[in-house]
Amino acid sequence: MEEKDIVLKAENVTMEFKRAQTEPGSLKELILNGRKQKKRPETFKALDNVSFSLCRGEVLGIIGTNGSGKSTLLKIIAGKLVPTKGKVIADTSKIQMLTLGTGFDTELTGRENVYLNGAVIGYTKKFIDEKYHEIVSFAELQGFMDEKVKNYSSGMVSRLGFAIATVRDTPEILILDEVLSVGDMFFRKKSEKKIKEMISGGSSVLLVSHSSGAVKSNCTKAMWLEKGVLKLMGDPYDVCGAYESMKGGQA
Amino acid sequence: MGQYFFVIRQLTSREIKRKYARSYLGIVWSVLNPLLSMAVLSLIFSGIFKRAIENYPVYYLTGYILWQLFTSSTVTSVTALSDNKPLLLKVKFPMEIFVFTRCYTSLINFFYSFAAYAVILAVFKITPKITVLFSVFIVFFLFLFSLGISLVLSVLYVFFGDIKHLYTVFLTLWMYCSAIFYPAQQTEGIMRQVVYFNPVFIFINSMRRSVMWGILPSFGDTVKMILWGGGVFFSGTAFFLACKNKIMEKI
Repeated sequence: MEEKDIVLKAENVTMEFKRAQTEPGSLKELILNGRKQKKRPETFKALDNVSFSLCRGEVLGIIGTNGSGKSTLLKIIAGKLVPTKGKVIADTSKIQMLTLGTGFDTELTGRENVYLNGAVIGYTKKFIDEKYHEIVSFAELQGFMDEKVKNYSSGMVSRLGFAIATVRDTPEILILDEVLSVGDMFFRKKSEKKIKEMISGGSSVLLVSHSSGAVKSNCTKAMWLEKGVLKLMGDPYDVCGAYESMKGGQA
Repeated sequence: MGQYFFVIRQLTSREIKRKYARSYLGIVWSVLNPLLSMAVLSLIFSGIFKRAIENYPVYYLTGYILWQLFTSSTVTSVTALSDNKPLLLKVKFPMEIFVFTRCYTSLINFFYSFAAYAVILAVFKITPKITVLFSVFIVFFLFLFSLGISLVLSVLYVFFGDIKHLYTVFLTLWMYCSAIFYPAQQTEGIMRQVVYFNPVFIFINSMRRSVMWGILPSFGDTVKMILWGGGVFFSGTAFFLACKNKIMEKI
């Protein structure tokens, strides 16, 4: 791949958190802990010198157990968290993030949520007006849009979330955080097809997961994060194999 | 810029829909609520304060609607960030927007209450003088003041859950120091000093002067309103920006 094809580049990203051994969760605890002898806050590295790049048309899988630093990495990529060291170079306006918690308001109808969610992720009113029917038909929710989202099944919710996030037709960076591991079989097939379409249209995908199945079947490249360290990077089957044998060894 | 209006409108209409989600009268409550409260308080106190306060219901309502603007802005903003957790990562705007929309929703509510207020003014045959225009200035700076405090509270709540309860108690104290339902000039000693120092009282008192009594606020009070409104807004914003990275770490 040539240099100009790189759409996202992380350079030596390190994120340190200062954690008191017992983090105060309330004012009461803060005051009481203050009176006890002061424990030195520990520096905890959520990410340790992680570098990688994502090229146009690539699907990069990031795999790792809970607490491996995946979500910290996502926050940095989205431009919401400034790393302690290193940097991420990407056009944040092109990043579209899709997570399991879609941020829908359950008291509102499906239609209202399309507009609310679309507005928050930067779509204009005109754009949503134009694409509204496309979103609804992709999510297969015709006839349900005037119903409150609290009456939706979890599959319906994730379908709608996926449809909103992927309706843009311009090249972009799509980040899927544990999304492909849910939903029914038919929708999973459909969404995988949609992702392939987007990739051929010039988009790139970051797929974050703690299960290796989704990574193996979708990705062109994979990286394994473990306790903030990039353990392995390369062919999805090799990386997932190593990851599984580590998990197997622990169990 | 247009996109900002769109997202603020979407978020605000969601807040209003949520607020009246299961009520029959809906937004009419924003008009009824101050009137009912006025009726209750007048029933109890208008006899007691007959000599000190002319047009007691109007005196009370003036204070009450401003107090409501302040409290509903700040109270609803406490949870503004944590309620929108799933959206914080996706939002393509500065995340202050969630706090801003809660305050803005309260401002819209205030305009509905103001309609009720105008009716009551007419009922009591109070014809406002030209000084009534000054109320725009007062509401603007009270809004900035509320926004500044809201920004600080929303950040604190991310780290300390008890802020919510503590603040409610503190508001009760603050309310009694704001001379909403009793004559301010009858207070004595330390209490008098507290009331006249209290920024919320300065806003309320200035409003009574310019709407009910047709006199402009004193020069000193005008300067104080600018300083309190502007000062609290700027320091609140600075505090929020300084904590941004910490918020994303925690959420």
